[in-house]
Amino acid sequence: MTDKEKEVEKVFIGGLHEKLVEDKIIEESELDLNFSKEIRKYGGKDVMTCLQCGNCTGVCPISLKIAYKTRIIMKYCQFGLKKYTLDTRWVCATCYRCYEHCPADLNPAEVMIALRHIAIREGIIPPFIKTAATNLVKYGQSVKPDPEIDKIRIELGLKPIHTHDADYQTVIREIQVLVHASKYDKLIGIQEEVKV
Amino acid sequence: MTAPAPQEKNIETSDPTKGAGDIAGSKIGVFICHCGSNIAGVVDCGKVREASEKLPGVVVVKENKYTCSDLGQAEIIKAIKENGVQRVVVASCSPRLHEPTFRKCVQQAGLNPYLLQMVNIREQCSWVHSHEKEKATEKAANLVQMGVSKAGKLKPLEAREVPVEPTSLVIGGGVAGIQAALDLANMGFKIYLVETQPSIGGKMAQLDKTFPTGDCAICILAPKMVELSRHPNITLLSYSDVEEVKGYVGSFEVKVRRKARFVHEDKCVGCGSCAEVCPVKVDNEFDLGFGQRKAVYVPFPQAVPLKYTIDKVNCLHFKSGKCLLCVKKCSNQAIDHEMEDEILTLKVGTIVVATGFDTYVPKRKGVYKYWEYENVITGLELERMLNASGPTGGHLIRPSDGNPPKRVAFIQCVGSRNKKIGNNYCSRVCCMYAIKNAQIVMEHEPETEIAVYYNDIRAFGKGFEELYHRVREDYAVEFIRGRPAKLTLDPKTKSIKIRAEETLLNKITEREFDLVVLSTGLIPSEGSKRIGKILSLTQSPDGFFMEAHPKLRPVDTAMDGIYLAGCAQSPKDIPDSVAQAKAAASSAAAPMFARKVRIEPLTAIVNDDLCQGCGLCVDLCPYSAPELVPGDKGGMRAHVIEALCHGCGTCAASCPQKAISPMQFTDDQIYSEIQAALTETTRRHSPKKKAEAEVSP
Repeated sequence: MTDKEKEVEKVFIGGLHEKLVEDKIIEESELDLNFSKEIRKYGGKDVMTCLQCGNCTGVCPISLKIAYKTRIIMKYCQFGLKKYTLDTRWVCATCYRCYEHCPADLNPAEVMIALRHIAIREGIIPPFIKTAATNLVKYGQSVKPDPEIDKIRIELGLKPIHTHDADYQTVIREIQVLVHASKYDKLIGIQEEVKV
Repeated sequence: MTAPAPQEKNIETSDPTKGAGDIAGSKIGVFICHCGSNIAGVVDCGKVREASEKLPGVVVVKENKYTCSDLGQAEIIKAIKENGVQRVVVASCSPRLHEPTFRKCVQQAGLNPYLLQMVNIREQCSWVHSHEKEKATEKAANLVQMGVSKAGKLKPLEAREVPVEPTSLVIGGGVAGIQAALDLANMGFKIYLVETQPSIGGKMAQLDKTFPTGDCAICILAPKMVELSRHPNITLLSYSDVEEVKGYVGSFEVKVRRKARFVHEDKCVGCGSCAEVCPVKVDNEFDLGFGQRKAVYVPFPQAVPLKYTIDKVNCLHFKSGKCLLCVKKCSNQAIDHEMEDEILTLKVGTIVVATGFDTYVPKRKGVYKYWEYENVITGLELERMLNASGPTGGHLIRPSDGNPPKRVAFIQCVGSRNKKIGNNYCSRVCCMYAIKNAQIVMEHEPETEIAVYYNDIRAFGKGFEELYHRVREDYAVEFIRGRPAKLTLDPKTKSIKIRAEETLLNKITEREFDLVVLSTGLIPSEGSKRIGKILSLTQSPDGFFMEAHPKLRPVDTAMDGIYLAGCAQSPKDIPDSVAQAKAAASSAAAPMFARKVRIEPLTAIVNDDLCQGCGLCVDLCPYSAPELVPGDKGGMRAHVIEALCHGCGTCAASCPQKAISPMQFTDDQIYSEIQAALTETTRRHSPKKKAEAEVSP
C-alpha cells in the first residue's frame, strides 16, 4: 500500500467513522419533551407552530456567515433536542429580521433569548458573559472603559468615562443594588464583585 | 316547464289542548340515557334516577342504554300513553342532535311536541368532567332537576308553514353559479342569475388549462355558458348588482340594479364593428393588464352574453361629448349613450350565493417585489399568458423584454398560510396550479429550467399526486423546500436572484431566474362583503361565508333559504366548486318542490301592551327579524317576522320593557330553572364552599 493509498484510506475510513458517530440514531432518552413549554416560559412564542419554511435562515445575517441556521434551531426546540442548541445560543444578534419575515408570526430571536435564560439557569455560562456582567457592576457598562477612548473624548471636549466623581459612583452603586436585589449576581456567579 | 304541485299538508296532527293541562300539577316523565358508555361510563345513572324520582311532579323515571333507539322511544310513548305523562324530560346528549327525534316521538304518542325538555348530560357533563365521576353525577342530577322544573312551565306550541315561490336567485356567474343555475333550471324552476361583470364565466374563463387532466378551461366551460344563456327557465342578468334583499325563505324580495351598458342587449348582435372603430385603447382587466381592449368591448371572445359594453370611464363621448364613431358604425342602432341604470324587483323563494374569490395581490413594499420588478408576475397572469386566446397568443415571455424565459421559478404560499398578513388558511389550489403551469411551460419550451419553491406540496385530490409525480419524472421540474427570503434584481439582464434556505439540505442557496411566478392564494371576492351585509350572512374570520355546520350542513347558511356554492364559502378547485354548486341546487330545490317551508314556533313574541316601539331589537337582531309597525293604540310597535326569527333571544335580553320573550325561553321558565339550580336538596356543598374548592388546586 502506497503512502497515498494509506492517506486515502485514513481520510475515508476516518471520515466515515466520524460520520457514523455523528449520525447515530437519536434515542428517545435524549429528547426533552417539555422543552417547548420551557422555552415558552422564558418568553419564546410557541415554537411548535413553526412551519420550517426556512425564511428566517434566509434573512439571518449570521446564518449567511457561519454554520448556524435559525430554522434548524427551531426544529431542535420542537423536537426537544436540548443539547443540540448548546453552541448556538450566543450567536444570535437579536436583530429580529427573522421575526419580521416569519409567515407563522413566530419570533425566533426571542426563542434564542429564552434558550440563553435556560442555559444560564442550568449553569452553562460562557466566560464572556461573566466578564460582561463583571464590567457592568464595576464600571456601569458591559465593555471595559478604554483609556484610549477617554483620550479621544477629552480631545473632543467631553468628560472621560472612567471618572471618580460622586455622580458616577452613585450610578455604579445603584446598579449593584439592582443586580443584587434581582439575584443576578448569584445567577451569574459574580457575588464577590458586588459590594452591597 | 313548471315545478311540481305542492305535496299534501302533513304537519302537526296532535290536539293542541292535549297536554296543556294544569301546569303546576302536570305529570312529568324523566328518561335518562346511558348513551352506551358515553354517559354511563362517568355518570352514575342509577343515582341520578334515584334523585329524579324524588322531584315534585315526576311520575315516571326510566334508564335506557340508548334512548334514541326504537326501544328507548317506545318507553317514552308507553309512559305517555299508559302513565299519563304530560311533560317529557330526556337527559341525554345535545338538543342539536336529537331534539327533533324526541319531538317526533312525543308527537307520535299524542302529546304536543314542544312539551319536551332536553337535558344535556353528555357534552355538558360526562365528556367535560370525565375525571371527576362523583361530581359529574351530582351535576347530572342538578341538571335534571333544572330540566324538570322548566318542564313544568312548558307550553304547547304550534309550528307554522309559509309558501315558497318556485323561483331562485343565483348571485355570481362563475362556474359554481352557472352549475347551480343550470341544475335548478333543469329541475323546472325559474332562475335569475345576477353577474356583476359584462360576461359570465368568472375566474375559470381566465384560466388556460385545468389540473390535473389538462382540459382547456374555456373549452369545457363555454358550452355550459351557452346552455345557460339559451335555457328557457333562466333569466341572465349580466352587468348587474344585487342592491337589496328583503323578506325570508319562500318569499324574498330582491332589488337588482342593471348597470347601463349603453348598448341595447336586444339589438346588439355582437358583430364587433363598434370596437373596430373605437379610438380608445385601455388595459383589459380580463388579461390583468397584459392585453388591451377598446372603450366599447366584450371581455373575451367567448363572452356570454355576446353583447358589447361601453366603459363609461374611458369612452371619449362621456369625456368630451364628441366621437360617437361607434353609433355611426352600428347598423342595428344598438348603441345609446343616454341609457340609464335600471332597477328590477324580483320575487324569489331561495337564493344561491356563488360570489367566488379574488386572487391575493402581493403587498406594494413586499419581499417578493411584485410591484418593483417587471419579471415577477402572479400565477393568474401566467395563466393568461399561456392561454392561446390571451394577450401573447399562448407564448410565455418575460414582460421586461418579450423574450422567452430560460429559467422560471415558482414561489408557493404567497398570501396563504401567512399569519403576518392574516390569511392563515391554505388556499388549496396553488400547489396544483403551479405544478400544472410548470408542465405547460415545459410542454411549450422543453429546454426551460424550472424550480418550485414550496413549503409543503398538497396534492390531495384525485389524480393530483400523479401529476406531481409526472412533472418530476417527465420534465425534471425541481422542487426546493424553502421559502425565498430575498429577491434581488440584476439591473442589466432584469433577471432575479432568489436567496432561500434549501431546508432539506440545511444550506442557503442563491439562484438566478429569468421569470418569477408568485403562486398567489385565494381571498373572498370584492363584492362578497357587500352581499354578506345585504343577506345578513355570517363570515368566518378569513372573510369567507360561514356554512351552517362544517360537516353536516356544508352548503346551508344560518339564514333559511340561502345556500352557498363554490369559493364564496372557502377556497376550492373546480370539481369541488361544481360539486358544491350541485349540492346547493339540490338543497335550494327541496323547499321549492314542497312549495312550503315549516317555521319552528321557537320565535320571539312581542307583548304589544308593554312595547314602546324604541326599536332597540330592530337594531340588534342578527337576522333582521323584528320590524317596527304602527300599533293599535298609535305609535310604533315591534313585530317579529316569524320566518326570519331564530329564537336566539338577543332582542329579549336587550328589551328595556321586557316586552319580547322567546318561546320556550321565557323569563318564567328560565327563572324556574335557576330556582331549581339553587335549591339545596340535591346539593351537598353550599355555593360558598364550592367556590373555595374551585380555587384550591
